[in-house]
Amino acid sequence: MSGGLAGIAGLAVLPLPWPFEREYMQLALAAGLVIGICAPLIGTFLVQQRLSLMGDGIGHLALAGIAAGLLLEVWPVWSAMVVAAVGALSIEWLRSRRRATSDLALALWFYGGIAGGVVLASRSTGGSGAILPYLFGSILTVDRSEVLLVVLLGLGIVVAVAAFGRTLFAIVIDEESARVAGLPVGAGNALLAVLTAVTVVAAMQVVGVLLVAALMVLPVATSRNLARSFRGTLAGAAGIGAFAVVAGLAAARQWALAPGGSIVLVAAGTFAVVGVVGGRTGTRRTVLVEAPAPGTAPVTGRDPHEDHDHDHPGSGSG
Amino acid sequence: MTAAGATGPAVLAAHGVSFAYGADPAVTAVDLTVTPGEFVALVGPNGSGKSTLLRLLLGLLTPDAGTVELLGHPPRALRERWRVGYVPQRRILDLDVPATVTEVVASGRTARRGWWKPPRPADRAAVEHALDAVAIADLRRRPVGALSGGQQQRVLIARALVAEPTVLVLDEPIAGVDRESQRLFRDSLVHLVEHHDTAVLLVSHELGAVADDLDRVVVLQRRVRFDGPPSELAATGVHLGVHADDLPRWLEDLQA
Repeated sequence: MSGGLAGIAGLAVLPLPWPFEREYMQLALAAGLVIGICAPLIGTFLVQQRLSLMGDGIGHLALAGIAAGLLLEVWPVWSAMVVAAVGALSIEWLRSRRRATSDLALALWFYGGIAGGVVLASRSTGGSGAILPYLFGSILTVDRSEVLLVVLLGLGIVVAVAAFGRTLFAIVIDEESARVAGLPVGAGNALLAVLTAVTVVAAMQVVGVLLVAALMVLPVATSRNLARSFRGTLAGAAGIGAFAVVAGLAAARQWALAPGGSIVLVAAGTFAVVGVVGGRTGTRRTVLVEAPAPGTAPVTGRDPHEDHDHDHPGSGSG
Repeated sequence: MTAAGATGPAVLAAHGVSFAYGADPAVTAVDLTVTPGEFVALVGPNGSGKSTLLRLLLGLLTPDAGTVELLGHPPRALRERWRVGYVPQRRILDLDVPATVTEVVASGRTARRGWWKPPRPADRAAVEHALDAVAIADLRRRPVGALSGGQQQRVLIARALVAEPTVLVLDEPIAGVDRESQRLFRDSLVHLVEHHDTAVLLVSHELGAVADDLDRVVVLQRRVRFDGPPSELAATGVHLGVHADDLPRWLEDLQA
């Protein structure tokens, strides 16, 4: 990321080793790392909410937003942001009012979005081909202002997760109890929807709208199999996302591959490797298999607090 | 069991509450009050309207007729909602979450602290206290998904206790819980009622280990069929033991 920031500040290209010695690779690395870290952060909450495909649905809507921007001749990032945010909020609204199941609501936008995108683009001056760069991303051609935008959006996502992560956690693990406790469940879900939209738009030029959801889900799926805590899942998912970006870009440079696809394939490969190795060496998945069925004796046999007499600190203080 | 001052203002109250799903009445003209420091069980066979009444009392459903008050306020008007602790049915939750016991318990403190504020030392102390209260301090770093059913149940109770609520509402907390966890569960409820003046409303079709500690039992079958001390219910021949098998028979006789 420092390479990109240095570039933005007008400094010389950083002396990074291969494959990041060239300026365009440093800009790609900066934009990629921001997305590689931010997308799994948001994805961790979405996966727990069983909305793994949310990013994909929003991505298709963002495509319609880009096409609308091309047609109206406004900056496509803004039109994509508006359409994606409104779409994300409407999915959340449909879900929370039980007007449609989550997958049905997503399917509506999935197909409506891509159809709308193609139709709108066909009327724009560039024709349908104008939206192609956004389908698969164009990370190797991002310029400094685009990197700056991605960095700013990424900072917003990190700050939001740091500030509201605990509340979002309480909501995604048990929405009803959060509601009874008086937490702002509707506002929390709306925030998550908007953060998803921001992530999708930020990631548009890195991996493209068709692959953005992969970075929201694959590192999370891997990390969930390794981590014991939610905090660890968040950190692990962000780390795996960052690794996928670095390794994917290196592979793309070495063998002249499509960078967005390479990044996602590294993330998918990491999941497969962790799944195979984890299954052999005993990670969380095996722990679950060993856990006794509900209603049987505790794992430890004898509870360490058997003799606890409830005279604990604060007793009687109300 | 009832603490001094138990006749104070009700912490939970339903006045003539009715609710129907479409044309099917679920509860009809229910009156129920729980006062501070009272330990009350709401029992009834499956389909008796217990869950509906619980959701009405918590403000998750709005009654068709009658009124509900939480700590003296209509549910939507109560600002300190965290004062009502809620332990949902374990079986309806997805506890295969990559989160430690401490993280899940601490999440119960978020509403009381203010959802935009980071945890302070008092919040961490409350988490420790809640872990101790249900004897799961040694499990604090374990993922909740790797615990037994009884241990998971205690995690959910600790999550409700961590906000130090005025009233604790538990939905079927005993179902599928091992005997040792039931005993620890009973001890922590009795401790709360006796030492913290917390009111407890237990909604269940079986009462297990807590049957002897109750102040009142409310038997529901769409309407309130009984509301009084367990001894009075026992005098009618109903024993609220492990599975409360007598209850459905008694209700049948009552209607005959």
